[in-house]
Amino acid sequence: MHKYIIRRILVFIPMLIMLSIIVFALATAAPGDPFTGKILDPTVDPEVFNEQREALGLNDPIPVQYLRWATAMAKGDFGESMYYKGRDVASLISERIVNTVYLGVFALVLTLIVAIPIGIYSAKNPYSPLDYGATTFGFFGLAVPNFFFGLIAIYVFAIKLGWFPAQGTISNIHVTGFAEFLDRIHHMVLPGITLGLAGTATYMRYMRSEVLDVLGSDYIRTAKAKGMSDRSVMYKHTLRNAMIPIITLMGFEFGALLSGAIITEQVFSYPGLGTLFINSITNRDYPVIMSITLLLGVAILIGNLLADIFYSIVDPRIRYD
Amino acid sequence: MNKALRRLLILLVFICMTGFLLVACNNDSDEEGSENKETENTEDEKDDNEEEKEEVESGPQEGGTLTGAMYSAPAGMFNPIFYEEAYEANILSFTHDSLVSQNESLEFIPSLAKEWETNDDQTSLTLKLEEGVTWHDGEEFTAEDVVFTYKSMSDPDYVSAGGIRTAYVLPLLGYNAYSSGETDTFEGVVADDDYTVTFHFEEPNINPLYYASFPIIPEHIFKDIPVAEMPEAAESRDAGAVIGTGAFKFTNMIEREQYILERHGDYWQGTPYLESIVWKVVAQSVMTGLLESGEVDFIADPNGIPPADFETVQGFGNIEIIEQPDFGYQLLGFKHNHRTGEDVEAGALEPDNWVPNEKLADPKLRQAISYAVNREGLVDGLLYGRGQPINSPVATQFWAYDDAAATNYNFDPEKAGSMLDELGYVDDNGDGFRDDPDGNEWILNMDYPTGNELREKSAPLIEQQLEEVGINVNLRQPKEMTAYVEELTNDNTDWDLYLLGWSLGSADPDPSGLWATKAAYNFSRWNNPESEELMQKALKAPEAFEQDYRAEVYSEWQSIFSEDLPALLLYAQNSLWAYNKRLQGVDPLPYTMYQDAHLWWVNDAN
Amino acid sequence: MLKPNITKNTEVSSNQKHNQSPFKLARKRFLRNKLAIAGIAVLILFILAALFAPLLTQHDPTKGDLMLIEKPPSSEHLLGTDSSGRDNFARLIYGARISLTVGFSAMLFTLLIGVITGALAGYYGGKVDNLIMRAADLMLALPFLVLALTIIAILEKVTVGIFVAVIAITSWPTLTRIVRGAFLSLREQEFILGARAIGATDIRIIFKHFIPNAIGPIIVNATLLMATMIIVESALSFIGMGIPQPTPTWGNMISEAQNIRILRDHPEAWVPPGLAILLTVLAINFIGDGLRDTFDPKSNRR
Repeated sequence: MHKYIIRRILVFIPMLIMLSIIVFALATAAPGDPFTGKILDPTVDPEVFNEQREALGLNDPIPVQYLRWATAMAKGDFGESMYYKGRDVASLISERIVNTVYLGVFALVLTLIVAIPIGIYSAKNPYSPLDYGATTFGFFGLAVPNFFFGLIAIYVFAIKLGWFPAQGTISNIHVTGFAEFLDRIHHMVLPGITLGLAGTATYMRYMRSEVLDVLGSDYIRTAKAKGMSDRSVMYKHTLRNAMIPIITLMGFEFGALLSGAIITEQVFSYPGLGTLFINSITNRDYPVIMSITLLLGVAILIGNLLADIFYSIVDPRIRYD
Repeated sequence: MNKALRRLLILLVFICMTGFLLVACNNDSDEEGSENKETENTEDEKDDNEEEKEEVESGPQEGGTLTGAMYSAPAGMFNPIFYEEAYEANILSFTHDSLVSQNESLEFIPSLAKEWETNDDQTSLTLKLEEGVTWHDGEEFTAEDVVFTYKSMSDPDYVSAGGIRTAYVLPLLGYNAYSSGETDTFEGVVADDDYTVTFHFEEPNINPLYYASFPIIPEHIFKDIPVAEMPEAAESRDAGAVIGTGAFKFTNMIEREQYILERHGDYWQGTPYLESIVWKVVAQSVMTGLLESGEVDFIADPNGIPPADFETVQGFGNIEIIEQPDFGYQLLGFKHNHRTGEDVEAGALEPDNWVPNEKLADPKLRQAISYAVNREGLVDGLLYGRGQPINSPVATQFWAYDDAAATNYNFDPEKAGSMLDELGYVDDNGDGFRDDPDGNEWILNMDYPTGNELREKSAPLIEQQLEEVGINVNLRQPKEMTAYVEELTNDNTDWDLYLLGWSLGSADPDPSGLWATKAAYNFSRWNNPESEELMQKALKAPEAFEQDYRAEVYSEWQSIFSEDLPALLLYAQNSLWAYNKRLQGVDPLPYTMYQDAHLWWVNDAN
Repeated sequence: MLKPNITKNTEVSSNQKHNQSPFKLARKRFLRNKLAIAGIAVLILFILAALFAPLLTQHDPTKGDLMLIEKPPSSEHLLGTDSSGRDNFARLIYGARISLTVGFSAMLFTLLIGVITGALAGYYGGKVDNLIMRAADLMLALPFLVLALTIIAILEKVTVGIFVAVIAITSWPTLTRIVRGAFLSLREQEFILGARAIGATDIRIIFKHFIPNAIGPIIVNATLLMATMIIVESALSFIGMGIPQPTPTWGNMISEAQNIRILRDHPEAWVPPGLAILLTVLAINFIGDGLRDTFDPKSNRR
């Protein structure tokens, strides 16, 4: 097991290097640089920007720039933002990532507490009204684009009913302690539901079908025949086995969650990593683009790895070595 | 069968649901409308009550908080010599002062400097400073701070550290020697005593006060920080550490969301009435709603309220709108010349090497095109009338603007058509589009950037208008600003028509930064010796010390501009600044609303 | 959303090859699925609207009119006009062209890449497999949207064709995995070994034996992929990184609602394209589910 994990991590490294080369090449191939978008101020001499390009090494050949970036990165130095003058990338990202993590966790928790019980119920009571309702919801949740759902949520719950704020993460600076926590949750409700919608639908469908599969399997029938109570059959065998694919799914869905977050943050002008990424692309802020993509790459790889490890713990038949 | 039936039922439920949603939405908007009216009424009543109360109490009230809004978050640089964007300026205008500012007629008036004089040939400017001015931390403001500010901006490391405001120090005496590191003595700005400072210029300067209009930073805070490290310093970025002499201190922030300013009790012009000003970053999509509900009290630079929302906001009843023309403008550029590939490579701007753009060579042709553009229509349709077509690249607010000098290209497609006919641009091959006099296809490429929503919308409309008079326009896909500017700058391309906008300052109308032949921003690559001569003449000492003389020269220049047309100026949008009526004491200037904020007060402070 | 809408079910139903007329049976099974039939009906409706767009409206979806900005619905402009004075109804039905074209061709393109790479990896195994799967892992190590956005940023211009290529290039790996999985499970089966033994060429074996036997999951996933692609297109257009204005797409139309005034006062401008996406995707998903039931009757997923 340990060997397997170490091997997996060792595979990460060349992959991340490849990834960083690809993204660096893509980012620098884009026309313009961090300064071309800035020049529209006639009182500013464009010569100034040439000097700054020179100072940042933007006039060097791309491979040289890449190596410079990679060496610094290897030493744990994320570099400085070229757009947000004087800001180091690490602080810029850590300021935003908190918001995205909150949002992601909130959406995921929401997803799981809704999807799993309903999925189980649907499987235990197939063709019941709730099962049909859940199925309908499942189709709907997968078919509605989340930006459209987000707009409707803003329209109905923020503008029309005024229940939830349409944007931001906190009402004001004076909220502290537990009130701050509640305030943040209050701000996260609409974007969180928007982000979690598709996931909820997916997990619900999976949960239902997995539980159905397990319920129909021989060993459950055996367990029942042996006289085990429904309850203990459910918890001891069914759920345990039905959770395995859900966990694998979570590993895979992680990337989808991040993609969804980019769009959701845009709809709610939520100051997270997604909005930072889109801004960095438009501003050609290379160090930020690179750091975010690399970070996401690492996060997804770790997500997949954790899913695999978890899988092997829950299902003892699986052995990695 | 039963199962199938149920499935069909689900589908039906769905269709009903979606249909219902549509209906519900429509209903909502109706209800919304009536609700708006209701809240408006109650708010009006409240307003009335307040006004009554105000009459009883009369006079400014102490205290209260004001909430301002901007659409984008400041990048986080709160040091005047390094900031770049209007969003940061929103905060810096409250926290920092300059030696001089401008009044309604754009004349320079005293601020931190109470009086001044220039020597006869205007090579030096001596200013007497206000005494007893304190920085936010209680230290006294002196002439040394002024020297320090300009010295930092002339520092050899200033530009490479990210500074871009060199325009303010370039003409100072000895700038080149100091900024290149040849000498350690800075002669450009000298402190004669604690309250007297002299600016020395390399050459006679026609507008010396402009150079004294830059916000001052505190020497005692920055003196131990090398210029190269200033942008990273907490004193340049962190709330509480940023120090100015302004009426408000920058005390707290939730980055990218809220920025909090509290009053500077010892402000030299008197303690501000307002307790604090809170800046919120708010998406444009919810702005009007927040104004209406009173969550946001004012919105001004850089975007104000969108013209399309003008009427809605005006209907709120609790909101006052300040509408005045902006200094900038949008234009339809004509590429007169292109640079050669070699010149682009070498970064050279050598007019002798330029390749004329034959497709637009004749001034008459550019005039004909100009008549075909419905500028009034663009203003009425896209700007909802909140702006006006302009004819010269000098803002109407300036003394130099001369309406009579420039040709007004009133929308006249027939005239455009007949002019093109005369020039021989007629449809020879029967494809519905005009061909050039030699019978070759005549297709004009048109490019435009993204970023400004109204400009983006105007591009296909202008294309349509030109095609209506038979001009074949190849409207290409919009490009992001970064990519667009790169191509505009490296113009060894096939560009003919381009859209662009400039936002300009209020300091001086001199157009040479944009339209001089060798100006980098002269994207049309306009090369007109007459224009060149006039622009230089208008800046030449000592005649140009006289404003009237300059005005005359500029009037002549404006007429040449509009005849030769390096660009057709489309329109100047009005700035639309809105604020809640609870805010009193606002005295807007042509270029800003944030004037004398220490005199602002709210009528519900108690 | 924005997650490849792909089933994890990769097993190939083995009863197919023994059946004399599997497709006849499948068709029968499919036609019994009422939801799938309804899906097809809706989809056909949209396709017809897209095909006959010029007959349904006389307005040009790209031509604005300065006199007609943000007009409410009228008999002339059924859904009013947008902020450039373009007819919303015309944009809606012409938008169907773009959205369906993008969805269908992006699916086809992705399918092509996915099937070829998946087939190569699954059939040959070894080094080829390793190389392809490493590349796939690399693509999967980034959220799809991040990669797509980065590529779109470097493009000089984004046309429908280029856009389709970008999404196909960034979303093939999931399909590759599925096809590879199906091939791997077939590889050791007797009839394949038999074909090899009689000296059939690789190409022949792939096309004659593998593809027909893996066609079920491929078709099902391709259908669901098309739904995803339609959503992806609209999402990218919505944030202004998709097919640029003035080309009418449903995502472009909804992006107008980023302005509160339109969001609040002109739901007729943004709700219909949103519902159009919803219905199209729903219809395609119903068809996909119907196909899955058809190819894999044991499946209890609905």
